[in-house]
This record gives sequence, C-alpha cells and structure tokens, in this order.
Amino acid sequence: MTWAWRRAFRRFVGDRAAALGTALILVLILCAVFAPVLAPFPGDVGDFHTANRLHPPDGVNWLGTDRMGSDLLSRILFGARITIAIAIIAVGTALVIGVPIGLLAGYYGGWPSNLLMRVSDIFLAVPQIVLAIAIAQTLGPSIENVILALSITYWPFWARLVYAETRSLKNEVFIESAIALGASPWRVMALHILPNIASAIIVRTSIGMGATILTAAALGFLGLGAPPPAPEWGRMIAESREFLPEAWWYATAPGIAIFLVVMGFNLLGDGLRDILDPRIRRGGGAK
Amino acid sequence: MRRLEMILSRLAWFVPTLAGLVVIVFLISNVIPTDPVRILLGENATQEQVEAMRVKLGYDKPLPVQLARHFRDVLLGDLGVSIYTQRPISEDLAKRLPATLELTLVAIALSIALGIPLGVVSALRRNSAVDHALRVVSVSGLAIAAFWLAMELQFLFSMKLRIAPLNNRIDGFGPEAVTGLFIVDSLLSWDMESLRSAVSHIALPALTLALPAAATIVRFTRAGVLEVINSNYVLYQRAMGMPLGLIVWKYVLRNALISTVTQIGLIFGVLLTNAVVIETVFDWPGLGTFAVQSILQSDHKAIIGFTIWTGALIVIVNLLVDIAHSIIDPRGAR
Repeated sequence: MTWAWRRAFRRFVGDRAAALGTALILVLILCAVFAPVLAPFPGDVGDFHTANRLHPPDGVNWLGTDRMGSDLLSRILFGARITIAIAIIAVGTALVIGVPIGLLAGYYGGWPSNLLMRVSDIFLAVPQIVLAIAIAQTLGPSIENVILALSITYWPFWARLVYAETRSLKNEVFIESAIALGASPWRVMALHILPNIASAIIVRTSIGMGATILTAAALGFLGLGAPPPAPEWGRMIAESREFLPEAWWYATAPGIAIFLVVMGFNLLGDGLRDILDPRIRRGGGAK
Repeated sequence: MRRLEMILSRLAWFVPTLAGLVVIVFLISNVIPTDPVRILLGENATQEQVEAMRVKLGYDKPLPVQLARHFRDVLLGDLGVSIYTQRPISEDLAKRLPATLELTLVAIALSIALGIPLGVVSALRRNSAVDHALRVVSVSGLAIAAFWLAMELQFLFSMKLRIAPLNNRIDGFGPEAVTGLFIVDSLLSWDMESLRSAVSHIALPALTLALPAAATIVRFTRAGVLEVINSNYVLYQRAMGMPLGLIVWKYVLRNALISTVTQIGLIFGVLLTNAVVIETVFDWPGLGTFAVQSILQSDHKAIIGFTIWTGALIVIVNLLVDIAHSIIDPRGAR
C-alpha cells in the first residue's frame, strides 16, 4: 500500500497540470487565511468612499473600485473566505450524508436501499441549481442557507456513486472471505470497502468543489447568497452589471477569481484521477 | 424487442419519478420553517388576517391532506397564480417554454457541431500543439461561470463591437406563431426579416451556453476516438491500406460517439441549469427569467411550478437519450 501511494505521489508531482491546480488552490487558501494582512484596504469590505466610486485600476486600487468606491482587490481577497467556506462545508456535509447512505444501501440491499436510491435518482433528475434555488428561496438569502441548499441537493450524487462502487465490490473474493471469516458488517464496510472506494471519492470531491463553487456563485448572482455588504464573488458580478460598458474591470476581477479557483479544483481532480483511477488511465489520456 | 422492453420499463419509471419530484419539492417547501402566508401578506398583516388566509389557502390542514391536494392540483395542471404576472403559473410556463427550448436546442446543436470535430482532430493529432491548445480551452471552458461569460460576451460583441443585439429574443413582434420557436416559425412563414433578427438575437446566449457543453463533448469524443483508434479492427483496416479519413468516418465515430451521446443527456441538464442564469443576463423571455423574477418576488408557488416543469423536461430528455443510445449501441439495450 505505502509503495503504491509513494509511486502515485511521484507521478502526481510530475504532472504539471495537477501541480498548477494545487498551486491555485494553495493561493486561494492563503488569500482566505491572510486576507486581513494581504488586503490593501481591509476595511473596504464594509466601508465605502463614494467620492472614489468606479475608479479604474491604478497603483492604489490595483483592481479598481466598485460602485461604493470600495477597493475590489480587498473585497475579492475577503470573498475567498466565503467561497472556501461554502465549498468545504457544503461538499463536506453532502459527503457525510451521502457516503454512509451509499455504503449501507450498497452493502445490505433490499427494499430500503432501493427506496433510498430511487429518492436520490429523483434528486439527480433535476439540475442541482433548480432545487437549490427552490430551497434557498424558501429559506431566504444568507450564506448558511446557500450551504444548506447545496448540501441537500448534492448528497444524492455521493450516495449513488458509493452505492454503485459498493455493490460491485461486494462480489469481490476478498470481501466474501472477510465476511466468511466472521468480520462484522461494520468492519467490512469501514476497513475493506471504504479504503477501496476512497480514491473514487477523493477524485470527485475535488471536481465537486469546483462545481459547487460555480453553483454557489450562480446563486449569489441571482441574489440568493450572502446579503449585500458581503464580498461574495457572484453577487459582486451581479452588482457590476449596470455599470458594464464603462466599468469593465468591475465584473472582470471577480469573474477571473472564480475561474482560477474552479480551474484549480478541476485540474487537481484530473491529476488525481490520472494517478488514483487506473481504469480510466488505461483509456488513454484525459477523459 | 428488447429495445421496446427497455423503453417501456423506462416509461414505467417516468410517472413515479415525477411523482417523487412533486413530493420532494412539496416537502422541501413545507418542512422548512418559513410561513408562506406571512410572506404573502407581508410584515404588517394582523394575526386574524394571517389565520383567515391560512384557512383560505388550505395551510391549516394536516400535511398529508395538503400533499394530496397539491397532487390533485399538479395533475390538473393547476400550479396556482403567479404573483409576478397575475396569470396562472402553468400558462406562464407554457408560454415561456418555447423560448428556453429554442435556446437550449440551438446551443446543443452548436456544441455538437463544435465539439465532435474538434474532439476527433484532438485525438488524431494526439499530443500535438492543436491537442494541447484544445485541452487548455476545454479545461477552461468548464471552469468559467456561465453568467460571467455571458456578460463578457455582451460587453465585447454588443457594447464594444456592436455586432450583436444586447438582449431580448427578437425585434418587432416576431413571426406568426406555430411552434413558438422563432427560427422554425420564421422559416415556415418565409419571414426573412424575422429570421435574421431571431438568429442575431440567439447567437450570443446560445454561444455562451454552447462553450462549456462543447468543452465536455471535446473531452469525451477525444477519449472515445483514442480508445477505438488503437483497437485491433482499426489497426487491421489501416494495415489493409484503408484511408484514415474513411476509417474514422465509417468505423471509429460510431463507436467513439457512444459515450458522447450518453453525455448529451447530462449536458442538457447542465445547459438548462446555465440557461436559468444566463437568460437573466440576456433578458431572454424563457423559463429562467421567470424563475428569477419569481425569486425576486418570493413567489413560492411559481418556483415550485418551475421546478416541476424543468424536472419533467430533464426526465423526458434523458428518456430520449436512452432510446437514442439503444439505437446506436445495441449492446446497451438490456
């Protein structure tokens, strides 16, 4: 096991795209953690200076200012915190709900599992954002509600994935032998099945983080995210719409921020898939 | 015969899936502790007014009774009245469906027309500069927020270059309505003025939608072609001296496109998702703008109606994709 992991690690380091992805995510985390230090005007998350509104980028405001005269760079740095919090908590919650459901349903089978999987099929039949809009709208605009809406709509994906993997593993000889040796179902699931589906989960977590950030930004754009003073990237783009022809920098900055972060998670996911999922690697290149 | 069986069994699941969707949306909007009556009447309503409205709208009944009534209403096509337009929600949705359908269909056609040839080129010239450039573009295409891309395209083509209309679906009244799809209608009535206007209006939103979809198609087509092109039968044909173009066209594509066709069902879901958001940017009078207007008005019933309609649409498309899949790939008809 350790040998395989070490080899996987070496291959991962050699993958330039994955390295770029990792670097982008590290930059995001650093921005989020050190936002108060890095931001040239840390107060500008809430403060406004109307005299300086819609100022193009220059030596003072590197990325220009917004409709309130606040420094866009500072706001984007603080926005990284919101982005990262939404992505980690929403994906984490979906994992915590979806993975056990998928494991139990895949391991035990029977009608309760079928019912659970049918429910998750129904969730998956509708685009995530449509259900998320319905939920976030009912709850009212706030970050917590965005996270809740994203978690509720995202767990079925994990349940389905883990269910399918568990079902196919259950017929493997090593699982059958573990059961024959008298291992308890919990032991089989935790020590034999979970480690074998971990790589599939890790790969999709990375790509899922990117997708979740995009969906969260779209919710923010529609006015369902954090309420106004919050420097949420999607909301910033929505605010910039009415100033589009003149203040080109206003929409550009948060848009590029979203792009780089999502790109980071996607590249990392692709890289992880190449090293962790040999079935796809054999198919020849990126899929 | 097996194909028919497959289609029938999928059709049999169609109804329970939709019913489940109705239940889930209903539960989500009811379990969540907000008071729709309170929202409807506003902050200043008295307790008596709220109670009276609650009885009038049936919110005083137990949850199962409410659910049963909700089911009956949905079956009768009655989704309530929109706060925003003051018309029945089903009517509004039906009126707006063609706009969204036209947009997503043009976007799908565009993404296939772009994605499949580029994917084939990318696979045939594997690891060339073209392949690397396409890979960068397709990875980027999946990372861009659709609504931001929409705004930047608007900025470039409508505001700076002034070669595309900024928003809306058509200038003037549009062609005589037959299908509700302006491009088809204007062709049917041979109304060239409307056709030109409709095409120029749909160009930017369709392009915005098509780019991420095309990126996905490029990736899947590339992987599919690579897998097939190294197979024994293709090697044999090449050894026999068959021209590569003919092999690709006649033998590789059909096998390589199987996974791509499956993807198109998923892509349609993504397109519809993005359409919700970018319709707002382009003021496209479809389901998406309706949903966003309803959000802004806190129009609960309209959101539920929208969710049910889009869910049904996606389920239908997936059914069609499964049928198409079984036609291209008979092995899958199990």
